[in-house]
Amino acid sequence: MNFSELGQRFRKNIQTYIIIIALVAIWGVFAIITKGGYFMPQNISNLFRQMTVTGFLAVGMVLVMVTGGIDLSVGKLAGFVSVVAALFQRDVWFHLIPNQPVLAAILTVFVSMIVGTLFGMYQAYIIAYLRVPAFIVTLGGMFILNGGILLATGGQTIAANQPGFSYIAQGYLNPTIGWILGVAVVAILVFMMFASRRTKRKYGFELKPIYQDLLKTGFFSLLVLVYVGVVNKYNGVQVPVLLLALTAIIVSYVSTNTRFGRYAYAIGGNREAARLSGINIKKQLFLVFTLMGLLSGIGGVVLASYVGYGTIAAGQGYELDAIASCVLGGTSTLGGSGTIFGALVGALIMASLNTGLQMMNVAPAWQYVLRGLVLVVAVIVDVYFKKQSN
Amino acid sequence: MDENVILDIQHVTKAFPGVIALNDVSFQVQRGEIHGLCGENGAGKSTLMKILSGVYPHDTYEGDIFYNGELLKLEGSAIHKAAEKGIAIVYQELTLVPGMTVGENIFLGKEPVERGSINWDRVYSDTQKILNEYHLDVHPQDIVKNLGVGKMQMTEIAKALSENAKVLILDEPTSALSEAEVTQLMGILQTLKEHGVTCIYITHKIEEFFRITDHVTVMRDGKVVTTQETKNLTSEKLVQYMVGREMKERFPKGNRHPGDVIFEVDDIYAEDPDKGKEVLKGVSFNLRKGEILGIAGLMGSGRTELVMTIFGEYGKITKGSMKLYGKEITIENGNSAMKHGISLVPEDRKRHGLVLIQSILKNISLPNLDRFASFMRIDQDAELAESLKFAKELAIKTPSLFVPAESLSGGNQQKVVISKWLMSGPKILIMDDPTRGIDVGAKYEIYKLMNELAEQGISIIMISSDLQEVIGMSDRIMVMCHGSSNGILEIADATQERIMTLATGIA
Repeated sequence: MNFSELGQRFRKNIQTYIIIIALVAIWGVFAIITKGGYFMPQNISNLFRQMTVTGFLAVGMVLVMVTGGIDLSVGKLAGFVSVVAALFQRDVWFHLIPNQPVLAAILTVFVSMIVGTLFGMYQAYIIAYLRVPAFIVTLGGMFILNGGILLATGGQTIAANQPGFSYIAQGYLNPTIGWILGVAVVAILVFMMFASRRTKRKYGFELKPIYQDLLKTGFFSLLVLVYVGVVNKYNGVQVPVLLLALTAIIVSYVSTNTRFGRYAYAIGGNREAARLSGINIKKQLFLVFTLMGLLSGIGGVVLASYVGYGTIAAGQGYELDAIASCVLGGTSTLGGSGTIFGALVGALIMASLNTGLQMMNVAPAWQYVLRGLVLVVAVIVDVYFKKQSN
Repeated sequence: MDENVILDIQHVTKAFPGVIALNDVSFQVQRGEIHGLCGENGAGKSTLMKILSGVYPHDTYEGDIFYNGELLKLEGSAIHKAAEKGIAIVYQELTLVPGMTVGENIFLGKEPVERGSINWDRVYSDTQKILNEYHLDVHPQDIVKNLGVGKMQMTEIAKALSENAKVLILDEPTSALSEAEVTQLMGILQTLKEHGVTCIYITHKIEEFFRITDHVTVMRDGKVVTTQETKNLTSEKLVQYMVGREMKERFPKGNRHPGDVIFEVDDIYAEDPDKGKEVLKGVSFNLRKGEILGIAGLMGSGRTELVMTIFGEYGKITKGSMKLYGKEITIENGNSAMKHGISLVPEDRKRHGLVLIQSILKNISLPNLDRFASFMRIDQDAELAESLKFAKELAIKTPSLFVPAESLSGGNQQKVVISKWLMSGPKILIMDDPTRGIDVGAKYEIYKLMNELAEQGISIIMISSDLQEVIGMSDRIMVMCHGSSNGILEIADATQERIMTLATGIA
């Protein structure tokens, strides 16, 4: 591969690179300002833990936006679910199964997932089958859930800091298990690389030179190992981050390797062409918004466990963070394109700004201003580079 | 300087990275004439027109253009300056705001403002004046989206004229028009000519040059091949200039032997799904194995509605029945049509046929994912292998299957749409205006492909607005008029006149 080819490749993947460059730049700036304090294992650990709730919402939001939709209710849905989870923890399981914290936590997770999914289905039905615009249905959903939160809490704060339940968002893996996991991931990456080369050869396609594949796999393997090394210096691999990673991998796989995912992108890319290709648009939209509900439910459990309480302000504004993460990560607001990976990096950028600005003791008002500016500037840069590559 | 020359294009060269779009182009346009510009897709016509209308400003190309004897220097907000000087372009894709009235559209951006508010009475009276002067048959208060394509185009022309256009560039104005509308447009152009407006007329329909133009300039591969008086040309000669080789025939001879009847449509009626209006009022025909059945008819005669209804993606069939291999079938949607072996290449490939931002591969496999997919997995290697097979068979010209469909030329895009439907293994392939807006060479390839498919035993239903094409390609022709079938002609009896009489409902 010569340089012009390299340049071409770079331009083609500019969106992926830009956001990673932006992330590194933001980290760099904070590292300098905080004299390296930003890279303390404790801070890195908290940073990743902080992004998880938004992360779950962003993973679902990518698919929603890819179909050309939007979901404004996810923040409040996660909030509502967190309150429901807290209520179950404090009031229901405490009476039914008082001395089984682990079982109680597992049951709470199930209840939360069901609540999220059901509300997702309710909205999905109206959007897909009654053809009311998603913007309006979910705006309504936001109000409804806000009322739901007030009703469920009665205006009070509900404790959700029981031992088993707290583990979900505040637990850490034993460092040894963390290392085993890290090495396993690397092994899987290498195995996948060779498996993909084998099938490519079987079908007689041209193979990329092996050093390219090795470089790519090596890079990601290194990232995983460095990450495990750093967080192990604090408390170990964070349970919520692991859950988010698993979820992201599954949804990412589904989005590229199943009909469900392909259809979502096709619908967002050109709804009419998708319809005439025999795709059941209503069913697909129903599934996408239902999945969004499920992921909001999971986000809600993690939120309750993370905060340790169910409060009336739970989930406030999270929907906007999720949408911002997707946009930062290159998801088109018009539908048809976007990746889970990008959205997660976007969520990480938002979280990085948060922690960095907090460390610098910037007043909350200015934190909002700066986050808003970063979002808009990022999109301006993106638009500029897209023009260039055309 | 010759007084009669309004545009003098001298040695214009325009290069893009990696490709020379215009290579030393020179020709002259006479004042007040209709000047045809002809060439295959990619010949450089559109690039040249973009230079004339200021899309590419003065410093982005080499060479000189003289307009009324003066050097044309369009810089800065060049599109605006071109309009000020009286050069206007009517694009293939119409540029009107659908929700606004004709008057609002014509005065968009130059509304007469008095004391801070728009004088709407003047807008509409001035609009009416322009419409009257050029005999344009639209009403100033009509909402644009309710108009047909033909009237939208008139609005677009009126808009250009309202800006005192001296040179009007029409880029494929007839590609979406019915025969009647084309005739009307020709009349309008004649009126413009009488008013001294110069027109540059671009089209893919060869016969239109002979109907309307005074001179024709032929372009090929970014160069001017020739400029000649139209009366000295024949269509054979023109095509020869365009493709640079002798084309013996426009329609390749097939070796088709239609077999037994496999599909019957018996007196079907259907309603528009949104408005509830009856659009099909008794259509009957049958289709034989390995046959090409042409469907002719004017715009609005229900051709597209008929095939979309058969495909299950339009209104409900209220009366009548369809039989496949003698067995009555019902089709609820596109998916069930495919299961019955019926595929549809839709009318508008960009709007209905392709997901433009997605790769060729994903476009081809989209309706066929079921065969590669289990519940949790798509076998992407098999998907690629199978798609590659069709891409090769149809000779889609592309560096790889991973480039987005929007990067292809019209003809190749159409091949992608055809590939995706061939992969579904149809017994009946419905093609709605399959060669619309693609160049002569690509058309020929599509025709050849249709012949091959029919020879393999696939039955084809082809809608076409091009009468010569219907006659050239079909075994039989069904003519539609006002939502019903108004007669089926054997090819031996089909003439343009007979088709038109049936289509207009005179007979």
